[in-house]
Amino acid sequence: MKKFLNSPFMREFGRIVVAVGAALLLGFIVTLFVSEDPVGAYRAFLLGPLTRLNRFGDWIEESLTLIFVGLAIAIVFKAEVFSLGAEGQLLLGALVSGSVALFVPLPGYLRIPLALLAAALAGFAWGLIPGYLKAYLDANEIVSTLMLNAIALKIYDYMLTYHIKPPNAGYTASATFSADGSLPTFFPPIPGLDAVREQWMSQTNITIALYLVLFAVLAVYYMMYRTPFGYELRLIGANLKFARYGGIDTKRAIVLTMAISGILAGLAGAHLSMGIHTKIIINISLGLGFEGIVVSLLARNNPLGVPFAGLAYGYLRAGADIMERSSDVSREMVLVIQAVIILLVTAERILPMMRRRVSARRAAQVEAEATPAAAE
Amino acid sequence: MPLDVVLRGIFSALFVASVIRISTPLILPALGGLISDLAGVINISLEGIMLAGAFAGVVVSAYTHNVWMGVLAGMGAGMLISLVLAYFHLYLKTDIILAGIAINILCTGGTIFLLYILTGDKGNSSTLASGAVPNVEIPFIKDIPVLGTIVSGHNVLTYSAFILTWLVAVLLYRTSFGVHLRAVGENPEAAASVGIDVRRTRLLALLISGFMASLGGLDLSMAYLTLFQREMTAGRGFIALAAVFLGGRTPAGTLIAAVVFGFADALSNQLGSLKIPPQWVQMIPYVATVIALVGYNVRRRAQVAERARRFQEKHLAEMAAAQAGTD
Repeated sequence: MKKFLNSPFMREFGRIVVAVGAALLLGFIVTLFVSEDPVGAYRAFLLGPLTRLNRFGDWIEESLTLIFVGLAIAIVFKAEVFSLGAEGQLLLGALVSGSVALFVPLPGYLRIPLALLAAALAGFAWGLIPGYLKAYLDANEIVSTLMLNAIALKIYDYMLTYHIKPPNAGYTASATFSADGSLPTFFPPIPGLDAVREQWMSQTNITIALYLVLFAVLAVYYMMYRTPFGYELRLIGANLKFARYGGIDTKRAIVLTMAISGILAGLAGAHLSMGIHTKIIINISLGLGFEGIVVSLLARNNPLGVPFAGLAYGYLRAGADIMERSSDVSREMVLVIQAVIILLVTAERILPMMRRRVSARRAAQVEAEATPAAAE
Repeated sequence: MPLDVVLRGIFSALFVASVIRISTPLILPALGGLISDLAGVINISLEGIMLAGAFAGVVVSAYTHNVWMGVLAGMGAGMLISLVLAYFHLYLKTDIILAGIAINILCTGGTIFLLYILTGDKGNSSTLASGAVPNVEIPFIKDIPVLGTIVSGHNVLTYSAFILTWLVAVLLYRTSFGVHLRAVGENPEAAASVGIDVRRTRLLALLISGFMASLGGLDLSMAYLTLFQREMTAGRGFIALAAVFLGGRTPAGTLIAAVVFGFADALSNQLGSLKIPPQWVQMIPYVATVIALVGYNVRRRAQVAERARRFQEKHLAEMAAAQAGTD
């Protein structure tokens, strides 16, 4: 038991729990200062998503997007490649899948897979570019992916404003997708459960993206830990030079890593357009690519941890929405909490520092106990 | 006919003046990005620091009824935020990129959160009577027809952007601190081995970087506009970072690159009458940055290869000479 508690897994887990707990505590202290009813506000924040079925649905939908993006980030970060390109890949994924959903005259069972495939390909391509630039032309991936994000956003805005928006629409958004272009509900039509299904369908919008996410988690895990490519990826992350000396074609592996990460970000975009909004809207993603980084960090870049981190973080976001609607505290508090979590989780020195203090105190105690004994 | 209008628009003195005005909140943070980048700590939190500076300036100037108190508060806020960044990166060993992302999220959320508390509005600070930094009319020059329109009548921060470009160049290339800073960025182990305090140098670089970025933020909220809007930086911190690379990591290059971004932005407004989608024009600088990034590395690699070749040739020649001497 003691061994288990001291295992690296538990230490990591404990560290994350401490970080999240500290951030939530800080959030509560802030709430105390700004709110008339801090306890009520915080209760809405912490318990809100569980109080009604539609809120529960919002939480799950939000989390599905975060898990997709989190997986995308986990892949590149595992290889120690700091690609921040998920945002752009997600935008193009949403754009491309939405266009297929709107304009390709195929029945739903063909149109939807085609749209998903198109989103995956768009993300793949948008990851291939910075991957190639980094591996073969030495271009800093942070700057190149940030630039590609901006370019993707311009393409997205241009296509939406000039080609996809219905000519007479007063707002910048596409027409709503038909059922043949939207992801169907996750609840299969089981005989005898029609009433339950009806209730879930009317109050929540959870789609088959749920199964897609589960599959993606397992696929990424399998790829990372059970294939030669995954081994290369992890080795590059652990030590690039060693990987190169070991005979790995590191350039090819880096390109592939960034491109495969793009597939998942592209699918996140498809989930946004075909699952959540069922239309293409302006500002479809406000920094989701960066939020995926939090998810991946909380999961320590482990694909099997990403769903839990995504659910936890989606819970905070959904809770913040409810808090804003039912109290006088604005939802942006969750951003502050998020920032504190990132800082505390990634600060390498914080936990060792705490442990050193504790052991120093223990040593002092032992000494203090030993001294009188020696004097006797 | 419309092309005519556009061309006349571009070649007017007013257009050049507007390019300068639009470029100011890019030049200032870009200089900050340059300094930290040369010190080997890429600062992707310029965006957040600008927001903090812009917000603090507006709020403090509104409550003290004093523009300069606002400016001071903005600078202070920017430097405080970069101090947090530096502390986490340099002392707690947080990865600089992740810490930078955290700072951006903190500042985006924090400013909206505080704005809502202070004004009850999450969009902008229009209910606060905040100040604006003064414009400067340069005597004599302001009366010259074209030059006067272009050069005179800008706000204090615009002039300081150009002066600071020069000061940064002096700092980087004419002072021992500048030499240390670049050495630390080039090779921290080598710099440490000759007794340079890497951590202190980087701390100072990040502080200067935060100072510059906060000036950019102040320009947005106290000159370009005279109020704070949520997320009003709109990616300028990242554009500034791009300008550093587009400008080949030199002060003058960074200045020019920032003005190129400003030009594209101003141009895209002008092209509205030509029915060219503004997105295409706005995209150009980003594409140019990617190309510049690649070009810079290819050139650098060629230089290294060339140097190695020359060294080898010289070495061979010396060997031959030595051979000839012993014979």
